[in-house]
Amino acid sequence: MRLRIAYTKVEDAKYIAHLDLTRVFERAIRRAGITMSYTEGFNQRPKISFGFALAVGTEGEREYVDIDIQREMDLGEALARIQEQLPPGIRLLQGRVLTQGAKPLMAVLNAASYRMRVLMALPILPERLQEGIGAWLAREHVTLSRFTKRGPTEKDIRPWVKRLEGEIHGDEIIFELEVEMGNAGSVRPEEVLVSLRELENLPLDLEALHIKRTGVHVSYQGENTSPLEHDGFVQLAEQS
Amino acid sequence: MTKYTAAEIRRQVERFLPKVLKPSRYLGTEWNAIQKDWHKTDVHMAFAFPDVYEVGMSHLGTRILYHLVNSYPEFLCERVFTPWVDMEATMREKNIPLYALESFQPLQAFDVVGFTLQYEMSYTNILNMLDLAGIPLRTEERGAEDPWIIAGGPCAFNPEPLVGFIDFFLLGESEEQLPEVLGLIAEQKKNPLPRQDFLRRVAQVQGVYVPDFYHVNYKPDGRIEKIEAESGVPVVVEKAIVQDLDQAFFPTNPVVPYLEIVHDRMMLEVMRGCSRGCRFCQAGMIYRPVRERSLETLLKQTEELVRSTGYDEIALTSLSSGDYSCIQPVIEKILEKHGDEGVGISLPSLRVDSFDVELAESVQKTRKSGLTFAPEAGTQRLRDVINKGVTEENLLNAAEAAFKKGWSTIKLYFMVGLPTETQEDIDGIIDLAKKVANLGTKLGRRNITITISTSIFVPKAHTPFQWEPQEAKASVELKQRYLKENLRDRRFKYNYHDVKTSYLEAVFAKGDRRLAPLLEWAFKHGARFDGWSDQFCEEVWINAFKELGIDPHFYANRAMDYDDILPWDHLESGVAKQFLVEEHHRALQEAKTIDCRHNVCTGCGICPGRGVQIELKG
Repeated sequence: MRLRIAYTKVEDAKYIAHLDLTRVFERAIRRAGITMSYTEGFNQRPKISFGFALAVGTEGEREYVDIDIQREMDLGEALARIQEQLPPGIRLLQGRVLTQGAKPLMAVLNAASYRMRVLMALPILPERLQEGIGAWLAREHVTLSRFTKRGPTEKDIRPWVKRLEGEIHGDEIIFELEVEMGNAGSVRPEEVLVSLRELENLPLDLEALHIKRTGVHVSYQGENTSPLEHDGFVQLAEQS
Repeated sequence: MTKYTAAEIRRQVERFLPKVLKPSRYLGTEWNAIQKDWHKTDVHMAFAFPDVYEVGMSHLGTRILYHLVNSYPEFLCERVFTPWVDMEATMREKNIPLYALESFQPLQAFDVVGFTLQYEMSYTNILNMLDLAGIPLRTEERGAEDPWIIAGGPCAFNPEPLVGFIDFFLLGESEEQLPEVLGLIAEQKKNPLPRQDFLRRVAQVQGVYVPDFYHVNYKPDGRIEKIEAESGVPVVVEKAIVQDLDQAFFPTNPVVPYLEIVHDRMMLEVMRGCSRGCRFCQAGMIYRPVRERSLETLLKQTEELVRSTGYDEIALTSLSSGDYSCIQPVIEKILEKHGDEGVGISLPSLRVDSFDVELAESVQKTRKSGLTFAPEAGTQRLRDVINKGVTEENLLNAAEAAFKKGWSTIKLYFMVGLPTETQEDIDGIIDLAKKVANLGTKLGRRNITITISTSIFVPKAHTPFQWEPQEAKASVELKQRYLKENLRDRRFKYNYHDVKTSYLEAVFAKGDRRLAPLLEWAFKHGARFDGWSDQFCEEVWINAFKELGIDPHFYANRAMDYDDILPWDHLESGVAKQFLVEEHHRALQEAKTIDCRHNVCTGCGICPGRGVQIELKG
């Protein structure tokens, strides 16, 4: 039986690295007394797969995981038993049983949205903020140099950004960002802020930055759906 | 240093935690971590492991004592590890004191900070942790508001280089001793006695060594003239022993870390002690006598461990698990019960002569990891000297069985610089490696990898080789180079320990309390993580010896006489010094000594008068 589960990864759980998350779920499921299905072959691994990795320290309000278990069981009971064994901060929100042949998360997810709270280094007017955001969005290319293990590389981050909005609340700005994600890569939310500061001279104090991923989506013809939604899900699974 | 509350520390640390390597190291929120109410507990202890989280959490003793102390409602025990260098730099920059993982309380707020001394090369980390905590390094600089700084573990059997930093040491097994000490600290909190009076009281507990009460005089040539105990404390401090291991406390709800640690699995302690009698091995001397746990106890513990951790692997740990008398039944029963849940077994310490390939096959789920054998020396003569009762035939039989069962990777562990070692013994290592490799080739195995690892002999206190010098660095290096040149076949991989750190290890292993200022100097000039090759800085140590006028050769490379007073002569492991002398004699005569577990008593002295005896369950 294949389960797709939506969960949070907030509070102290945000420090659990993506690579460690498989083990966290695997052990929780074993403690719950539920037998997982394993991959065939030399080095057997439990069949647990996630969507796009969440950076260490970034909270996720609604993330997804697919888990294969050996025996049929009631969905609600499975969720309840696993929840009991999960560390604080990982809360199961919703789940569904996947139909035969459903595509894995990584094959259907293609967008993510973030909320970023950042302190202003200097107070600015709302008009100034909107002007900056507008100018940034109007650019065709936003080239950012990055330092990787192979030395400096340049990449254009603009194509990945689908939506960017900002609003001033007291001494901080709250940004809502939606980006495209795919096997070819994506943009990191803090990279957008760095370029906003550099290109549009917005006074952002990036030392005091709080990022939350509010959701990951199946985006199709301008519409965001959840990978749990039956129709969107099956339709996409067939079309792509 | 500013006084921070737990909440302030947490708030500050959270600001930069995403930016340090492996932030999960610094949070006590793992599964089964114990969050106790600070205000509802009488004594607060921070259990300190002077190395990084992944190393410390892999240590069984740390896990036992953490849960043991917390099993008492009146005590609270939290953990602290050495912050990795990036975390340390940030903490120092932001002026944040070292805190315990569970509550974020600064170490300074605890009643006791207990360090475990697993290896000499972690000593500078102890000083670093005290310093990061804002606790004065020297006992005489500390006041009533500072925690008691205590330490236990194998290196407590010669803790002299740490005298001056640690208030008192705990020798031996702490399952009964530590709660007794914490009880005294609870009383001390209620009705405080002057420091010296309290120390005198705690010195009455079995295995507690308060160095303040022992005075050392030296001869003009630097050797010890005498060690004198003040009245009212034991002249010789003898280790504490758990009398009934089967019924002793063992945690079956251990903390399950988020990040991958060195030994990331359940640990089941099948027995304690080893009486094989390898003459270089300190653990084999100081953990006597052999006491096994019963099959029923182990199966019950396994069941609880699987339920509470969700791990898929259980290690049957001890100094030599193949010697456990019920090893076969315990493996069968565990696999029978938990095999379907995907639980596998690992046997981390197998001896060649107790090695049964069937056994290894039954436990190994996959064959990706190789099999490890430790002949320790290259010739039968030298193996007799060290009393490693393994023959070439044993090794080749085991290797043959392993190749036939499909293994193609075999690891061989040796030591260089053992007493009486000659060129012939070094050639013996090469010879043995070649024989194993050729055997594999003959049996038709392809892609054979024989990994040969050599460590450097470090003479340790309370062993028959405690009087021996360590071989000079230059000649050890020659031997390593020779092995490297002669193990060039592509079937071989040769690894060897660093001479510089092994040398320093010998200095501290045989050191006395005159080394304390050296430690402090080295720490203040940047030494930390000396056991990590990427952090070790030899230059600091060379300068430290020069600056303080201490000759490292005096400690590491000097042969001691039987009638020399050893820096640890006032500390007793229960194995009589006379037995060690006899064993040293026998070593030089290349005479083997039998394992008393299956034969007659060899007279090491551990059993009589201590209410303990060898306990076999099979």
